Amino acid sequence: MQLTINGKNHEVDVDPETPLLWVLRDEVGLTGTKFGCGIAMCGACTVHVNGQPRRSCSLPVKLVDGDITTIEGIGTPDAMNAVQEAWVENQVAQCGFCQSGQIMTAAALLSMNPEPSDDDIDRAMSGNICRCGTYPRIRAAVHAAAAKMRGA
Amino acid sequence: MRASLIKIAAVGAFLISSPNAQEAEAPDEASGLAAWAKIYEIFSDERCASCHVADGRPMWSGEHYGGTYKHPMYVGGSPELLLGHPGLMCTTCHMAENAQKLHGPPGAEVWHLPPAEMAWWGKSSTEICEQVKDPTRNGGRTLAELQSHVAEDPLVAWGWAPGPGRKPAPYSAKETADFLVAWSASGAPCPPAD
Ligand code: FES
Ligand code: FES
Repeated sequence: MQLTINGKNHEVDVDPETPLLWVLRDEVGLTGTKFGCGIAMCGACTVHVNGQPRRSCSLPVKLVDGDITTIEGIGTPDAMNAVQEAWVENQVAQCGFCQSGQIMTAAALLSMNPEPSDDDIDRAMSGNICRCGTYPRIRAAVHAAAAKMRGA
Repeated sequence: MRASLIKIAAVGAFLISSPNAQEAEAPDEASGLAAWAKIYEIFSDERCASCHVADGRPMWSGEHYGGTYKHPMYVGGSPELLLGHPGLMCTTCHMAENAQKLHGPPGAEVWHLPPAEMAWWGKSSTEICEQVKDPTRNGGRTLAELQSHVAEDPLVAWGWAPGPGRKPAPYSAKETADFLVAWSASGAPCPPAD
């Protein structure tokens, strides 16, 4: 099966029912995407398919219908995406486990809504659970990333 | 008691005044209402009504939830956004197929909410009946279009194949479409409001 992940083509030989998450982590070796619940309840496994956030733990790889972007694909430690920068500047992460999912959701929100209100942020981010309770910092960082992206 | 006596008296008076008209129409109306009762049983079932809500917040209901809840994750709340909110679309979690794990996300092609004016959750048989045949509140459909919508739409069909652990809606899509045919053929009567 052919997959495009972070702009690169990958040939993977897997059961088509395999959740995308395990293809990314175990077959392709991209371990930035995390496993929390396996039933689309926590958001830790969020990636983009055609720019839209999807819960990779619940998406059988046979249903992937576009280009995949993971946390490794939106920026690197040397060349961070505006959302990642805002995350660092606001010191959002506590344990960090949920944060790649949080950042992927935030990036998708900002691509569709460049100036979200608090409520827009809460509505987008409420499917991403943080057991460390970093929610206030997440909201602040989304506003900060939005300002960066608008060049403000 | 008093009200029903008055009703009986009214029906009696009607029977006496126009026996022929009553004989010609009563069986049809009665079979139409019987068909509607089955349609109402289906439309008001939690499998259908959980998404036919007025406030944009679908319900989680069924035995395996241990109760009835509004969809968590702050989903909905904007009845005009039928596909979800930017950043958390319905299809962020709901795939084109049911998850095979209980409590995993159910799925079908283009998972989305019906418009708020098609709300069934908590509505009476009369209210749902009037809504279903009102083109301004049923998506501009004729009764014939309603039948094919019920018989053919993949998201409607999900109600009878809701995935492991969920109780399907009563009857089947085909039977529901047949009940709609029978109901329309007898003039699509609605039960009186009580
Ligand atoms: S691991 Fe996918 S939503 Fe929790
Ligand atoms: S930072 Fe620990 S779970 Fe979110």
